[in-house]
Amino acid sequence: MAIMMPASDQAVLTRRAEIVAALRAIVPGEGVIDSAAEMRAYESDGLTAYRQPPMVVVLPDTTEQVSLILKYCAGQGIKVVPRGSGTSLSGGALPLEDGVLLGLGKFKRIREIDFDNRVVVTEPGVTNLAISQAVAHAGFYYAPDPSSQIACSIGGNVAENSGGVHCLKYGMTTNNVLGCEIVLMSGEILRIGGKGCENPGYDLMGVITGSEGLLGVITEITVRILQKPETARALMVGFAQVEAAGECVARIIGAGIIPGGMEMMDKPAIHAAEAFVHAGYPLDVEALLIIELDGPKIEVDELISRVEAIANGCGSTTCQISTSEAERNLFWAGRKAAFPAVGRISPDYLCMDGTIPRGALPKALARIRELSEKYQLGCANVFHAGDGNLHPLILYDANKPGEIERAEAFGADILRACVEFGGVLTGEHGVGIEKRDLMPEMFSEIDLNQQQRLKCAFDAQGLLNPGKVFPTLHRCAELGRMHVHAGKLAFPDIPRF
Amino acid sequence: MDTLRVRDAKDVEEAVRAAIANEQPLEIIGHGTKRGIGHAMATNAVLDVSALSAVTSYEPNELIITLQAGAPLADVLSLIDSKNQQFAFEPMSTAPLLGTPALGTIGGMIAAGLAGPRRIKAGGARDHLLGAHAVSGFGDSFKTGGKVVKNVTGYDLCKLLAGSWGTLAVMTEVTLKVMPKPEAERTLLLRGLDDAAANKAMTAALGSPFDVSAAAHLPKSAFRATTEGLGDIAGEGEALTVLRLEGITASAAHRAGSLLELLAPFGTATLVEDAASSALWATIRDVLPFAASRALGAWPVWRIVCPPASGAALGTQLARETGGELIYDWGGGLIWAALPPKGDAHAPAVRMRAGAVGGHAMLIRAAEDVRHSVDVFHPQAPGIAALSERVRAGFDPKTILNRGRLMRGPAA
Repeated sequence: MAIMMPASDQAVLTRRAEIVAALRAIVPGEGVIDSAAEMRAYESDGLTAYRQPPMVVVLPDTTEQVSLILKYCAGQGIKVVPRGSGTSLSGGALPLEDGVLLGLGKFKRIREIDFDNRVVVTEPGVTNLAISQAVAHAGFYYAPDPSSQIACSIGGNVAENSGGVHCLKYGMTTNNVLGCEIVLMSGEILRIGGKGCENPGYDLMGVITGSEGLLGVITEITVRILQKPETARALMVGFAQVEAAGECVARIIGAGIIPGGMEMMDKPAIHAAEAFVHAGYPLDVEALLIIELDGPKIEVDELISRVEAIANGCGSTTCQISTSEAERNLFWAGRKAAFPAVGRISPDYLCMDGTIPRGALPKALARIRELSEKYQLGCANVFHAGDGNLHPLILYDANKPGEIERAEAFGADILRACVEFGGVLTGEHGVGIEKRDLMPEMFSEIDLNQQQRLKCAFDAQGLLNPGKVFPTLHRCAELGRMHVHAGKLAFPDIPRF
Repeated sequence: MDTLRVRDAKDVEEAVRAAIANEQPLEIIGHGTKRGIGHAMATNAVLDVSALSAVTSYEPNELIITLQAGAPLADVLSLIDSKNQQFAFEPMSTAPLLGTPALGTIGGMIAAGLAGPRRIKAGGARDHLLGAHAVSGFGDSFKTGGKVVKNVTGYDLCKLLAGSWGTLAVMTEVTLKVMPKPEAERTLLLRGLDDAAANKAMTAALGSPFDVSAAAHLPKSAFRATTEGLGDIAGEGEALTVLRLEGITASAAHRAGSLLELLAPFGTATLVEDAASSALWATIRDVLPFAASRALGAWPVWRIVCPPASGAALGTQLARETGGELIYDWGGGLIWAALPPKGDAHAPAVRMRAGAVGGHAMLIRAAEDVRHSVDVFHPQAPGIAALSERVRAGFDPKTILNRGRLMRGPAA
């Protein structure tokens, strides 16, 4: 394993039987799993290159049990890793050898649907898609739609601040969550926010969202729901150069149009997808844009023709416009299947997740081509073009010695390039363990210390999901110390009035 | 009073470090337009960031703008307007309500986090702050977030800075999301509804697929008749319920027609278009009927946030109990309540009514002696209050920044 996790606490490991018994006293029956065979299902998440069986798995089904488990672990100095559906692509739910894996899979109930206030109150183990399905009969849906939405849990979405194809127009998880019930590592149960538009005081909900399971364990979530747009249509536009496709994206935004989705694929991704789903993608283009407009029919029709004109002006070589739901879905089928399609042409692949300013796209793709040469590994690119979120898929074969290391080095170089071009390390998959050691590329020690002080406010012992997000762990007492800036006079050299 | 006018982030660091060494708290100001909000600060030293006023970069096609925190909001709004863009959260101006002259700075806009009518569709300041550079109460410059619209790298400290009233860190530079301005707007206007019926009409509109971007209700009121921006819409102070549709012209007009049909049970709506519509919404956004210069200028004003469908029940009871005047925005989820002057500004009634439906209330305008005896910001549950204090101390352990602003206490 290339990533170092915090050293295991031998004292905790030797007390394993006692810990299992204590957890059984809190969660009776089958809620505690301690056999090696059964725990194997939990040894990794969506980042399957990393595996580690936990010390024990516990699956509570009430908030009180979660509270008692955390209180017990805090008292005994035992680490805890929370887990939803285990679909994290950054290793956010990777277990620790000496840690309790706390699964929220039994929190599967939608507690309340309130159409008048346009909110759903749900338990965290409910899948993203199940929320939309529960309100579909009234024409509503939950907007963020990560591509794992059939499987991923809403609790995991909050932990990771998940995005999706439609987040350019409708926002990420953080823009669609109003409140939660959260259990701190101490066992304290807190309620934050509710059905109102905003919460009093510091925006704790805002900072809990995307905190990757390091601040608390969420046991209930209030999300806002929207009315489904009346209709949606898509254009599929091919370009002979990536630059022209990039220019088209910029001009669409520049014209004041925010599409429901705007996706780009490069040639290797187009070919892989077409071979897999036969969506009718043009094979002689360097870049393909799928642009979806949604809203009232009259608006969609008008915007489709505006976008078509822009695409023509950018020298598109092919342009198809969907005339039916079946056709629109076909356009998307290839894009949505891009990851498994790439999985067919390569034994293994790593999915990266940097964000760049849209304007830097041609530069970034050129850099990726250079790196592909350097590392002698193929790379297919899919891209949420509207918001600059790049997903290079690095092709490798884990059975060939040294390839995984080369693939990881390639990926790290791509993310460094994203930061160099003015972007960030992760747009929607999270830092987890995958990008943890790259954090100093983007943040100084002071920046990271300030983030860890927030962690201290929630979990002063650092027992919740340690080893994720931060490359270096500091003790809270050390972080709280005020450094005296010696020799500074009172307000030197600053104009006074 | 000592005022330090800082020129750059380095100055801010030095000023905060010196303040730490001298145990001298600082009041952080831009243009100072919101100094009358909150409790009196336990300091007489002022850190003025208004000279940090540059536009660092503006990239309309990337939908972002990076600004120094002291940049004047008015200038920034006209800059992005020149590219046909806007801050989608429709930041309000507190100037008319508080009777201050200027619009304030970008930093003040974020620190206060007061979003306008489009809050229900586009989110608040917290949803549009993408990145920030700031100086903490440790005297250290740090950055958080980035300069792209999609980013989950590290904790989202931007969310904490927005609405923190300058108590966590001194922002020096911020990156904000900008969005295209809608081509057209249409407002449906229903007359004569009582609060309960208006709340139902707004709920129906917001639950429709017609993408309503704002929903407000002005109850029948003698005080409102001549409010600026309402023009001849105001009538004789009769109740007005207004619903806004924005987008390309054909779409806004089409949806207005559909919404008109949907709302037929509530009466026959009339249409207000473009300039008249935007003047109407600016009036609601800035709460002009309660402006300091008008008849209710001396009344304390509460800003109550609650579940939208509970708005009318909360508001009508409160108005009956206190003899106050109300304006509903956010489909009922935001209530501006101007209440007759009283030593405690009717705080117990307001907080009891708001709390009963899961809402909260902030006393946004009141004389200093009233603010001295009433909690301006909604008191939090003990666990949340304790966590919030730990969070605050993680940014500013010596309470150097805006000490006493958020909470009444021995320091205030």
